[in-house]
This record gives sequence, structure tokens and C-alpha cells, in this order.
Amino acid sequence: MGEGSLLARRRRARAAASAPAEGAPRPALLLGSVAVIATCGLLYELIAGTLASYLLGDSVTQFSTVIGVYLFSMGVGSWLSRYLGGQLLRWFIRLEILVGLVGGASAPLLFGLFAHVGSFRVLLYGLVGLLGALVGLEIPLLLRILQGRLAFKELVARVFTFDYVGSLLAAVIFPLVLVPRLGLVRTALLFGALNVVVAGVSLLSFDETKPYRRRYLGAIVLALLALGAGVVGAERIQRYAEGEVFQDTVIYAQSTPYQRLVLTGNHRGELRLFLNGNLQFSSADEYRYHEALVHPAMQDRPRARQILVLGGGDGLAVRELLKYPQVQRIRLIDLDPAMTKLFKSNQLLRELNHNSLHSPKVDIHNADAYAWLRQDTTRYDVVLVDFPDPGNYSIGKLYTTAFYQTLRQRLRPGGLVVVQATSPYIARRAYWCVVHTMAASGFSPVPYHAYVPSFGEWGYVLAQAQPGTWRPDGGPLPAGLRYATPKVIGQMRAFPPDMGEVPTEVNQLNNQALVRYFEEEWGPYGNG
Amino acid sequence: MSLPRRQFLTQASAGLAGTLLAGLLGSAPGCVPARSAVRGQVRGAGAKLGHLLREPHKIPSPTRTEEIDVVIIGGGVSGLAARRELHRLVPTLRTLLLELEPEVGGNAATGHNARTAYPWGAHYLPLPDERDHDLLAFLKEAKIITGYGPDNLPIYDETALCHDPAERLLLHGHWQPGLVPEAGVPAADRAEIARFLAEVERLRHATGPDGRDLFRLPLDLSFTDAATQQLDQQSMADWLAAHGYRSEYLRWYLDYSYRDDFGVPAAQVSAWAGLHYFAARKGRAHNAPADAVLTWPTGNHHLAEALRHLGGPGRIQLHTVVFGLQEVADGHLEVLAFDDRTQQSTRIRTQQVVLATPWHVSKHLLPTSAAAPALAPLHAPWLVANLVVDDYPGGPGQPLCWDNVRYGSPALGYIDAEHQALRGFEPDGGRSLTFYWALPTDLANPAAARRHAFASTYHDWLTLVLTELDLMHPGLADRVQAAELWVWGHGMVAPTPGYVWGAARQQARQPHLGGRVHLAHTDLSGVSVFEEAFHQGLRAARAVAQRAAAS
Repeated sequence: MGEGSLLARRRRARAAASAPAEGAPRPALLLGSVAVIATCGLLYELIAGTLASYLLGDSVTQFSTVIGVYLFSMGVGSWLSRYLGGQLLRWFIRLEILVGLVGGASAPLLFGLFAHVGSFRVLLYGLVGLLGALVGLEIPLLLRILQGRLAFKELVARVFTFDYVGSLLAAVIFPLVLVPRLGLVRTALLFGALNVVVAGVSLLSFDETKPYRRRYLGAIVLALLALGAGVVGAERIQRYAEGEVFQDTVIYAQSTPYQRLVLTGNHRGELRLFLNGNLQFSSADEYRYHEALVHPAMQDRPRARQILVLGGGDGLAVRELLKYPQVQRIRLIDLDPAMTKLFKSNQLLRELNHNSLHSPKVDIHNADAYAWLRQDTTRYDVVLVDFPDPGNYSIGKLYTTAFYQTLRQRLRPGGLVVVQATSPYIARRAYWCVVHTMAASGFSPVPYHAYVPSFGEWGYVLAQAQPGTWRPDGGPLPAGLRYATPKVIGQMRAFPPDMGEVPTEVNQLNNQALVRYFEEEWGPYGNG
Repeated sequence: MSLPRRQFLTQASAGLAGTLLAGLLGSAPGCVPARSAVRGQVRGAGAKLGHLLREPHKIPSPTRTEEIDVVIIGGGVSGLAARRELHRLVPTLRTLLLELEPEVGGNAATGHNARTAYPWGAHYLPLPDERDHDLLAFLKEAKIITGYGPDNLPIYDETALCHDPAERLLLHGHWQPGLVPEAGVPAADRAEIARFLAEVERLRHATGPDGRDLFRLPLDLSFTDAATQQLDQQSMADWLAAHGYRSEYLRWYLDYSYRDDFGVPAAQVSAWAGLHYFAARKGRAHNAPADAVLTWPTGNHHLAEALRHLGGPGRIQLHTVVFGLQEVADGHLEVLAFDDRTQQSTRIRTQQVVLATPWHVSKHLLPTSAAAPALAPLHAPWLVANLVVDDYPGGPGQPLCWDNVRYGSPALGYIDAEHQALRGFEPDGGRSLTFYWALPTDLANPAAARRHAFASTYHDWLTLVLTELDLMHPGLADRVQAAELWVWGHGMVAPTPGYVWGAARQQARQPHLGGRVHLAHTDLSGVSVFEEAFHQGLRAARAVAQRAAAS
């Protein structure tokens, strides 16, 4: 990111600033402060750059502009330092409190206000400029305070040695320790507090501060309390802020008792639905996912009349099912009433699902699928299972032999089930574990997959209650499909070697083998 | 919060009967005061009605007479197993089961709140020994075994197998999977734990000269000789010391295990029973590993209910205390029973009796004589608490499991009562938790612990439970919505040194009153587990059937 040369320039800007003398005791203490404030100063710069990259993307641009504005502002600060006169130590203490507060608040403010301000860049560069100017005041001021205590060559040598040592420390611990352990918000608050502590130590170490010590001490305590409160609330700030950070504009967001629904849109007219931060579909390519989920089963069962859909409250699978006129009834079981309500009411989403959830053929029940299935007495020709991926032990129960055996009892003779079964490319063992679990539950499974650009290679399992063949040319496909054709459906069954069958355990309630495979395989992708 | 664990522990273990509650509650720093907002009450087995036995003069004289073939006194697992077996062997025999409580099941009691059903006592069954054909036949009949695999091993109903993840231990501030201490445990301790587990694994396969297993369930099938007697006389703590087991981690784990099954730690358990605990577990299944357990939201009440259901049409009379049992002139027996609801007593003439009550009840009903068996079972008092919290009990490391235990705790931890729920989503962060706590008891004066247990108030117990909860999950005590408590005065029998293979137990098992009264209770085994209770019932029922066939 070209930081090396920019940092070097920043040092030159500091070196250029030196000013008239004033006597000050304890040079060692003040030199220690140099190391601390240098660490803090570089950290604010790194935090602002990283945060801008997070929120705005394009890290090269963000880092370059943030560092440029920061260094220029430091120069402004250095220049302004000439206007400070009188009690220099008092100025220094004031300055440290102020740097601590502004620097500490920088990350929480930027995160928290991102989704709410008209122009985020004005806020960003304004804050970076202010911070740079304040930090730019520090070293000239310290040089002036120390001037009388040391020979000029000693003074410059020592101050800049400590300055660079502090910078090195910051540059090393920021990526290795601070970001992974504390996160940006807490790092900013912590180092803000360090600046304030420098003010406190200076205040208590020098006799000349006595006349105003009490007042300043109060200010320091208040500043520390404010930053401490920020640390306590940091978790919420970050979660809140990152919940709002999506590539596109957030159109709709709602927290329900079951999940957090976020719908985003962009200038290309692409809608994306996120559940708990995980992408559920993109309107650009969801037709591939849903055609692959529905049509291989339906063209094989041209007389299917009673259909059950588990999950899939977006109505997109139902939209595909309604393309078959012989279908008489579609029962949709989705846990979250907010989800089905949203897809029944929102204009954009109704256009997307062709108003499918208002069809008289569709009856919707908001219930836990497992609980529903256990008390259900209807028998179905086709069941589509479109649950979230098995990322935790609760959802893992919906992929067990116990669940599939319950499901099997709900099928009419000759009925079949299709299950979405995560990515066979990324989670190869998880995918084949679903296949093997269905086989162990008495089904004859047929594995297949489709390519959905938003997700990558995606896996499904078509499973028949009785052994039989699956004919890709079984019955006619509805007109107007954009992905599924008899030929494409036939190709779906071919697995290249990198997604080929691997031996796995069978997923049972008492071993939750699938959740473990899923975690191991999706873990490196930070998804789940 | 500050960690008063060490002090807390010291006080708890030093808590001999007299200082028990004062020690646990009075001065432990960091105690969480029980919140007045928490709803609930304290219950207990029907001690009031049961204690009527001590004052028979207060019971009205019988006003009516009834005649029946066999009377079963006591509707715990032993009594219910006897009833089912009798129905299987001689369906024509008319049976009457009399039970003190408002429900059958004994220790296998259950309750429910708005969230879920939960256990009040015994709540799981390890996979049974595949050679235990009687028990397997019952489980098959109860549809808990759904079939047999090609390897001839039983296939268990998957929904009844304890779901994964099963167990976690809070150790060094972190939840590790499994209860055997591992995370951050020094290598020397881990080696010692491994040595112990290897030793019990060896004993699991060990047989005597006649080919019988050294350790078997039911325990009366075990091979015995002089060495058995010697092991049984010794305490497990002494055996451990003699065999060089010094690891604190191992000792805690064993104390925890014994307190969980027997109510008392290694120092109060016989070495034979302490080894039997591990070495008699030989269950296998086609669809589960050997260490799997069966459990239900209602706990072992599920099994008790199945036994009742399969026990035929014989009447079950609840709320009834038996206050007299005697032989009458014509060779019949007479049972005197008082029905608490009608406040009337009945004289029941019968051929035979199965006395399926704990020993402290049985000995009141049996004729007193100089030759009466000197059986003195120790029953530790137990506290079971069913809490509803409105926040998820997570913590660092392994997520919520079925069984959740804190290392070093004097309590036994809690189980997630909703663990076996068949649902794919958690409706919210809340949970129903069942806490178990075998209260420290003094071998010399067990009654004192019981009296203190009964004298303590709801508020006292709740404070105890919330303090423990707060140590497991800081802050969660504030999120308790409701707390139902149950104090078992006589929790379950402890196999103290000399109990299992001593003469008194053998003597007490003999039929009484001319061979017409057959005893069935885990007090006559020394180990209070479902398998023992079940076989106690079978043994008594078979003796009844044999005599009925002979006459």
C-alpha cells in the first residue's frame, strides 16, 4: 500500500518542526511519552485507513487518501504549534486529553455514523484531518519543552529515536494482535485512553502543574470514563455497525425472534436477501438455484399434485412449482412469519416471486418444520427441503436419519424428496454426508449439483422413497425456464473428481457428524 | 465476579450435616441473593404422608375389606417392573399396586413448565448390556429398541439416544467437550487418568474362574470370591491411595461420578462399587457408540410410564400409605392401607405381596424380631431444581450440551431439559435447566442432613442454586424467571463399604412371612440404577409366579 514512503515523509514533516526553548524537568519521562504518543499517532492513522477500506472498499485508494490527508494535517498542526505560547506543559496536557478523546472516538464514530450520514467521506476526512492536526502539534511542542534540558543534537536524536520505536511497535502489533484480538473499535478506545494516561502522568510528575492540577485531573478522569464506557459498549457498536455494512444499499432490515432479515439493492436493480448476514439469494441468479431445486423432481413426477415445501419462505421455489398446472396444493412451512409476510407484501419481492404466496393453491404455516412434520398426517408426492445450511446443532437435527425417516413417512408411494445440501465443492464431506444419511434413512438418493454464480457450485439430493430410476427426460418442462433443460438436468448428475463421492459418517441426532464436517469445511471461509 | 470457589468448596465439603446450609449459604462471599421476583416452590416426596407410618395410631381403622391375588406395595421402578412381569407370566393373576405419591415412578419423577417437560430425578439409562435379554425385551416392547442390526446388536430409537453434543466441563474458565478433565490438565495428571481408565477397561473384560464377569449389571450376576469381599470392605478412596492415584483431577472426576450415581464421594463408596460403576458398563448398540445413553425430556419417567402401560389391567391406587402387613390364620396375608383422598382405610386380603418400598419403609411393615436383618442403607438427600432462564447459557468453548458440569463444584451441574427436543430452530435464547445436587451427608448421622434439608426454606435453596449458576455463567442468575425445587430426603442408596457383599443384604432379600412377602428395591442391591430396580422387580415377580403355580 505504499506506506513506507509516506511514513518517511511524515517523519520529515516532524523533523522540520522545532521551536524556541523553555526549561522542563524529567526528560526521560517526556521521552517515554514520545514513544507512547508515536504509537498512538500511527495507530489512529492505521485504524482510519483500515476502516475506510472496510466500509468503502478499494483499500489502495482508501489508505493512500487517508494517509495523505493525515500527513498533510500533521504539517498543518506543526505549523500551528508556533502560535502556542506561555505554559507549554499545560498545552501539552490539554493536547493529550484532546487527542485521546478524538482518536479514541474515531473508530466508533466512523462505524456508527456510516449508515446515517449523507456523505461519509466528509466525515472521514474531517475526522482524519482534525486528528492529524492534533497529532502534528505533539512533537514540536515536546521539542520545545525539552529544548533547555538537552543539547540540540541530543534532543533531536533522542526524540526521533523514541518516535520511530513507537511507530514500529504500532505497525507490528496492529495487524498481529490488535485487529484480531480487540477489533478496530476497542483498539481505538484503548489507545485513546493511553494518550489520556500520558496527560495524567505529565500532570502528576511536574510541580509546575500544581495550580491547575485538580481541575485537569477531573477532566482526565472524565475522559477515561468516557473511553471506558466506549470499550464496554464496543461490542454493540461494532455489531450494530457491521450489521449495516453491506455492499449495496440496505432497503429493508428487521430483527425477528428467529433471525435478522436484511434486504439490499443496488443500481443494477439487483436484490439480495441476507439472513443473519448470510446471503440467501441474489435476484440476478436465484432462478438457477430454484430451477435446479424444483424442476428435476417435477419433470420426473408429472402427476405430482400434493407438494410440501419446508423452508423457502421467499416463495421462489413456490413460483417454480406453480408453473405446473397439475399441482393442486402447495403447503409451505416456514418458521418465521416475518419472512413470509415480507414476501407477501413487499412490491419488489412480489414481482420477484410472481406473487406466488398469494396463490389460492398455496397454504402457509409458520411453524418449526420438525415439529410440524411430526404431527402432520397428509401424504405428499414431492417434498422440497430448503433449510439453511447445517451450521449449528439445532439446524443439524433437520439433516439426521431421524428427521429423514419422519419425512419418509409423509410421502405417497412413489413420492420423492429434494434437499438442498450445501456446496459439494467447498464442503465435500458435508455434501456426501447428506447423501449417505438419506441412503441410511431408507431413501434411494440421486446426488446432483448446479452452478449458481452467487454461491458457486451448489449441491442437491433427490431421494426416492422406493428404489427407482430418475429420468431427466421424464416429463415436459414448463416454458420459459432460463436454466433447466432436459439436457442440463442430465448433466447435473455428473460430478467431476474434485467434488466426487467421499466416505463419510451417517448424520444422526447422537453424533451430529454433519455439523462437524460443515464447520471444518466452511470454517476457512468464515461463513456458516 | 470474584471467585469464591475455593472457599465455597471447602465449606461445602466441610458441610457435615449441622453446618451444611449455614456453610453453603451464610457466609460464602459472592452469594447471589435469591430474587423475590423468581416464581416457584419447594416440593418433596410425600414425607408427611409417609411419616404417618411412625404414628399408626393416627390412622383410622379399616372400614372396608377387599380381596386380591397379589398386592404390590410401592410404585417405583421395582414395583412397576414386578407388575409388568407378573402380567407377562401369569396374566390371570389380579394385581393391585399401592403408591404413596400422586404418581407412579418413584425417583423417576417428572414435571413440566411452559417450555418443556423435565425430570425431577433419575433421567437417563446407559446402553444396557446386550446379554440382559429381559431388559432388552422390555425396551423392544416399549419401542425404544426398534429392531436389530445385521450384527445382532439392538437398534435404538434415535430420538431417545442422547443427542450430540452430550457433555461439557467448565475447567480453567473454559468449557471443554466431555467430562473427563483434559483442557490444561498437566501431563502427569492426564497420564494418571489414562491409567485409571485403562484399568477399568481391563476390569470391564475380566472374568472369574467360572467365566462369569467380575463386574456385571445386575450386580448379583457378578463373580464373587474372597477378593470381592475384600474390595467391598475397602473404601474407593483407600483403594485409589493404595494404587498410587493421587491426581486431584482424577479424584474430582471420580467423586463427581460417584456423587452423581450414589450421592456420596469416593471416600464413602466401597472400592468394589467404585470399580463396578465403570467396569459394569458393557452396553453396545448397532447405531450408537458404547458410551451412549438413552434419555427423554421426562427423564426415566418415560421408562416408568412404559412399565405401567405394559403392566396389564391391574388397578393402581395412588395417595395410599400401607400401615400394616400381617399373616392371618388361613394362610392369607392382610394389607392395611389408608387412602389419603378418601381418608379411609381398607383391609386387603391377599395371597402374596411384593414389597417394593425403600428399606426404611419395609422394615416398619415387616415383623420385628431379633433375627431381623441389620441392613442400614445410607440415603443422601438430594436437591433437584428446575429453572427457566431467559438467556442462552453459553460461555467460552463448547456450546450448551445435555450435561453441563463445573470442575470443582460441590454440585453436579445441570442438564438442558430441552436438549432432546425435536425441532430445528431454537425459539429464543431461553432454556429450561435441571440442576442436580447430592447434598453432603454424614455416614454417622444421615438423618441430621435430612432434617436440615427439610428445615431449609425455598429462599435458602434458591440462593444455593443461583450461587452455583452464577459461578457457571456469570450474570445468568439475574435471568432466572422461575425455579421449581424438589428436595429428596431419601435420594438413593449409597454402596458404602461392606454394603453390597455384606451378610445383611443377602439376609434382607429372603422372602418373609412364610415366603409370601417378596422384597424388591434397589436398597437390596446397593446401587440405585434403573437396571437394578428392574431386575429387583423381575426377581420378586418370578418368585410370586412360582409360588402361585405351586399352590
